[in-house]
Amino acid sequence: MNFILDGLFQAIQLLIRGDGETYSAVSATLKVSTYSMVVSLLVGIPLGFLLGHHDFLWKKHIRTITDTLMSLPTVLVGLLVYAFLTSRGPLGEYGLLFTLEGIAIGQAILAIPIVIALTATAVESIDEKLRITLISLGADKKQVFYSTIWEARYGLLAAGMNAYGRVLTEVGIAMMVGGNIKWHTRTITTAIALETNKGQFEMGVALGLILMAIAGIVNFSLSFLRNRS
Amino acid sequence: MKRNVFITSLTMIAAFLILYGSAAFSGDVKLLRMATTTSTDDTGLLDYLKPYFVKETGIDIQWVATGTGKALKLGENCDADVLLVHAPDSEKKFVADGFGLNRNVVMYNDFVLIGPASDPAGVKSKNVKECLSAISSKNIKFVSRGDKSGTHQAEQALWKASGLPVPDKEPWYVQAGQGMLTTIQIAAEQNGYTLTDRGTYIKYEDTMKGNPPLKILVEGDDLLKNIYSVIVVNQAKCPNVKSDLAKAFSDWMSRPSTQKLITGFKLSGKQLFFISSK
Amino acid sequence: MHTPVYHLSGIKKFYNRHPAVDIKELSLHAGSITGLVGPNGSGKSTLLNLLAFVDSPSNGTILFNGRKAEPFSEAVRFRVSLLAQEPYLLKRSVYENIAYGLKLRRGDSSQYPKQVNEAMALVGLSPGEFSNRPWYGLSGGEAQRVALAARLVLKPEVLILDEPTAGVDADSARQIMACALTASREWGTTLVIASHNWKWLHEICGSVLQMFKGKIIGNGMENILFGPWNQGHDGYWEKALEDGRRIRVSTPPSPSSAAIIPQSFITLSSHAPTMKQDEHVLNGVIAQLSLEPATNTVMVSIRAGSQIFTLRIPQEKARETALFPGQKMYISYPLSAVTWC
Repeated sequence: MNFILDGLFQAIQLLIRGDGETYSAVSATLKVSTYSMVVSLLVGIPLGFLLGHHDFLWKKHIRTITDTLMSLPTVLVGLLVYAFLTSRGPLGEYGLLFTLEGIAIGQAILAIPIVIALTATAVESIDEKLRITLISLGADKKQVFYSTIWEARYGLLAAGMNAYGRVLTEVGIAMMVGGNIKWHTRTITTAIALETNKGQFEMGVALGLILMAIAGIVNFSLSFLRNRS
Repeated sequence: MKRNVFITSLTMIAAFLILYGSAAFSGDVKLLRMATTTSTDDTGLLDYLKPYFVKETGIDIQWVATGTGKALKLGENCDADVLLVHAPDSEKKFVADGFGLNRNVVMYNDFVLIGPASDPAGVKSKNVKECLSAISSKNIKFVSRGDKSGTHQAEQALWKASGLPVPDKEPWYVQAGQGMLTTIQIAAEQNGYTLTDRGTYIKYEDTMKGNPPLKILVEGDDLLKNIYSVIVVNQAKCPNVKSDLAKAFSDWMSRPSTQKLITGFKLSGKQLFFISSK
Repeated sequence: MHTPVYHLSGIKKFYNRHPAVDIKELSLHAGSITGLVGPNGSGKSTLLNLLAFVDSPSNGTILFNGRKAEPFSEAVRFRVSLLAQEPYLLKRSVYENIAYGLKLRRGDSSQYPKQVNEAMALVGLSPGEFSNRPWYGLSGGEAQRVALAARLVLKPEVLILDEPTAGVDADSARQIMACALTASREWGTTLVIASHNWKWLHEICGSVLQMFKGKIIGNGMENILFGPWNQGHDGYWEKALEDGRRIRVSTPPSPSSAAIIPQSFITLSSHAPTMKQDEHVLNGVIAQLSLEPATNTVMVSIRAGSQIFTLRIPQEKARETALFPGQKMYISYPLSAVTWC
């Protein structure tokens, strides 16, 4: 039990002391989650909009598939991405294995189905009357898209936060694709796994608390923005 | 107004990405990538050696610390330039299959059998064969790494060398599938025995503030020698690997000055790795 | 003769293979006010969506000012605006809701505040009080008026209103009705209005269209009698009322068809008329009398059991027969006047 309290003190110490390893892991985590979130939002929101807004053949089946992909195991994604990025894999020549960009690819694969499915739900929950209203106020197709996205902004925010939560806390992809290389691809989560393996439970707890703090800061600032608008 | 805030934040994120992106792709220094076992990393040996290596050779080095099984796999897939591992049989096969060159034995330490201070199997100061026979015949808990790591392979070899079948589904045989320290902790929780490299045990002893529930019960047997070697990944199989840098590392590890560094590496005042093995 | 604003030919709109709208031919002229009546589900909203170009017909073409148009056509953008039933307000302030269309049209942005304020004044909302209100801070009637202002601010050529006064308070309803007329009078806006408020429609509309099962079946002067119909032992088709009396009709195409009896074929008398061959006589009481000043007619509603018949008589005749609510009356119609839908 003691190590949890010790972990809290250690977390504070690490942050105040400006511990290099900790800040390196924090920076890696922030970078990689930002890359993957930007990609998954850019890809996921338009696809989710299409899925939620339009009717087409197989729509129901595609929704079921994206809903299922929301529970992709991170280790599986890690293995798949490794298979593509390894020097012997089809994308080996780009040298993305054991890089932050490589982890971001895997995390984007993890996050995109979440963004698609939750965007589709948010767009679906918007009234059909919105479309009618926008068209009858003179919106063209592009403006209908942008205005619908803007109307669904709270739903999209939830989609983004959900995906961010998954990306921030996953360890399987970061470990397998990133390799947990110190000063380089060691993220907070792989560092926690390592410290736990080394029996440094206090350190694991400390890093875990720092991760929680990051998630907290992100959520608080988003809800602050939300309340202001 | 709100839209502006939104667009501004997007722009900032984009700028952030471009800055970091360019930083990530600049600076193409000589970088050696190594796949190694957890014990060399967990004990801190690599962190201790790295600055000397960088200073003396001008080569930067990064490593992925994992089980020996996966480290060999990474070499097979050309994802590492050099390996530092400790499973002689697998290593020899790796080299024989053409994946690796110049298997260079650089250091050793030894394995120890640890167990509860109460020693329910009564194995203290016996040899490895007697010890394993006692554990299996008395059905005492034995925790195995169970992860194809060097230690796991060494343990399997010990069962065979003792003339016993390698246990698998026996209820007293626990296959953890975890790193060495976690495995020790599982053994401690379950009041069982396990096989560990001495380095990790010293580290464990250190974290337990010198009073661990598990003690060394069997040591010094010739069977327990744990040999580490450096293998250069074969450029013929993997055109993209930096075998010149890998060779440089292998040579550097054999240098007398480096060997001296290795023997000088201590944890809690105890030497972890030894040199001049056969 | 000018080109009509709308010319519809062979329009069909299907939902799940079920025709929601089926119109052979329809023209609406510039500056006209057209009312649309009919029971729920008769296809009014679907037709209005087609006229507003927010939806496309499954078959047929709609000409707008003589040219074929469809959703997102430049020819109809900002010119045709629909106020849907229970309108949707954007999640923005009242001001931003009303200015939305103006911003899309990219006019002189310095004029927006003035234009928005005028539109707000028109629907009776004080700009000072309402401009900065969020979308959720409005009553139903206020929201409806904001939505109307968002259309009026564009000064559209055609304004289409779908049940604009349903579910709003009386004060808002009055404002909305007045605004529609102002638009028609001041800017020559062509209005198409669906409403259950017959009285209002007959007051302001040049023509009223009666819709039923997706078709235009008349000019709003029809009585619709729903089935099911049974064949009596005397061979006539009829429907029993709760009190045991029967409404007799001609032979229906199917027992569940609806019978349509134009008002002009119904005769009203205070004494039992002599039964003629192939004519049906029924008695009932006057449930409602109301004057329609535009045409100098009196609308009479007669209740027979749960069935209400409506007909119109000249004001003169109403005075002569001294009608009063509750009075017992006889109505008769020839069976040949019954058409089916």
